[in-house]
Amino acid sequence: MNCMSRSLLALTLAAMAASSFAATSVKATVNGMVCAFCAQGIEKRLSKLPATQAVYVDLKQKVVAVEAKDGQTLDAKAITAEIIDAGYDVIKLETVQQSAAEIKADMKGGK
Amino acid sequence: MKRSAVSITLALCLGAAHAAPMGFKDSVMTMGDFSQNWRESWVNYAFTARDAVGLGGIDMRSDDKSKSRTLVELNYTRLLQRWNLEHAQANVWLFAGVGTIQGSGFSGSRLAYTPGLQVDFETTRVYVAASARLYRANGLNHDFGSVRVGFSFYEVDYDQTQPWLVLEARRVRGLSDKTEITPMLRLIHNRYFVELGVNNSRQARANFMYVF
Repeated sequence: MNCMSRSLLALTLAAMAASSFAATSVKATVNGMVCAFCAQGIEKRLSKLPATQAVYVDLKQKVVAVEAKDGQTLDAKAITAEIIDAGYDVIKLETVQQSAAEIKADMKGGK
Repeated sequence: MKRSAVSITLALCLGAAHAAPMGFKDSVMTMGDFSQNWRESWVNYAFTARDAVGLGGIDMRSDDKSKSRTLVELNYTRLLQRWNLEHAQANVWLFAGVGTIQGSGFSGSRLAYTPGLQVDFETTRVYVAASARLYRANGLNHDFGSVRVGFSFYEVDYDQTQPWLVLEARRVRGLSDKTEITPMLRLIHNRYFVELGVNNSRQARANFMYVF
C-alpha cells in the first residue's frame, strides 16, 4: 500500500468514526417565542429531561434545539409536551445529526 | 354587576400592568412594583401551564399622603386565551383575589375582593398591554387601570440583555385624581426582568420579576 492509498484509507476511517459519533438533536420550530424572559421555561423544562445534553434557543428564528446525551434517545413527544407546558406551540419537529453548538453556529452563520 | 363591568371597561380604556403575570408550569414567580405611593409584591405558583395561585400585598397611598391602604390577598391567575403566532404572542388573563384591607379612615380590616383582566400583545420589538383590577371592599373602591406601550431598541439573542422603552399610564380610583404617566427603561434577560423609571410627579419607580 503506497502512501497515497494509506492516506485515503485513514481519511475514510476518520470520516466514518466522526459520523458514528455525531451528536443527535431534535430541532423544533416554535410559535409565540418572542421574549427571552418568558421563553426561559422552555430551556429549564427541556434541560431537566434525562436524555438532554444541551438546549439552544434562537428567538429570532423561533428554533429550539435539544441535543441528546451520548447513547441516549430523545423522546419527541416529551419535548413537544414540555414546550407546550412552557406555553408555546410546536409547528415542526425534526431530528438532525448535529450538536446544539453546531446548530447555533449554523443559525448565526445563516443570519 | 353592570357597574363592575363598566368599571372594567373604563379601566381598560384608561390604563395595564405587567408582562406575563405567571411563569411556566411548576414554576414560582415573584414580582415587585415599588414607587412612593404604590408598593406591591407577590409570589405565585403555576400548577398548570394556564393556572397559578399566589399570595400578594399592596401598600397604596393618596397623592397628599392623607389616605393609605394595605391589602393582603390570596390570588388566582388564569390564562384565558393565548395566541402563539409566528412572530407574536397575544394573551387574555383573568385575575381573582380575595383578602383583607386595612387603612386610614376606618378601623379594623375589611374583606376585599380583587377581580381583574389583562390583555397583551407582544413581538420581539413591540409590546402593548391593558389591564384592570377592581380593588373593592365594603365602602371602598380603589379600582385600578393601566395601559402600556413599549418598543425594544433592537433584537437580541436569547442569552443577551434586551433594553426596551416602555410608557405606562395608570389610575387608581379614590386615591388620586391624576393619571400617573411613567416612562421606564425595561431590561430583559432570560432570567431577569427589571424596569426603572420616573413618573410625571418626579417619583422614582422600580419593577422586577423573577422566575424560579
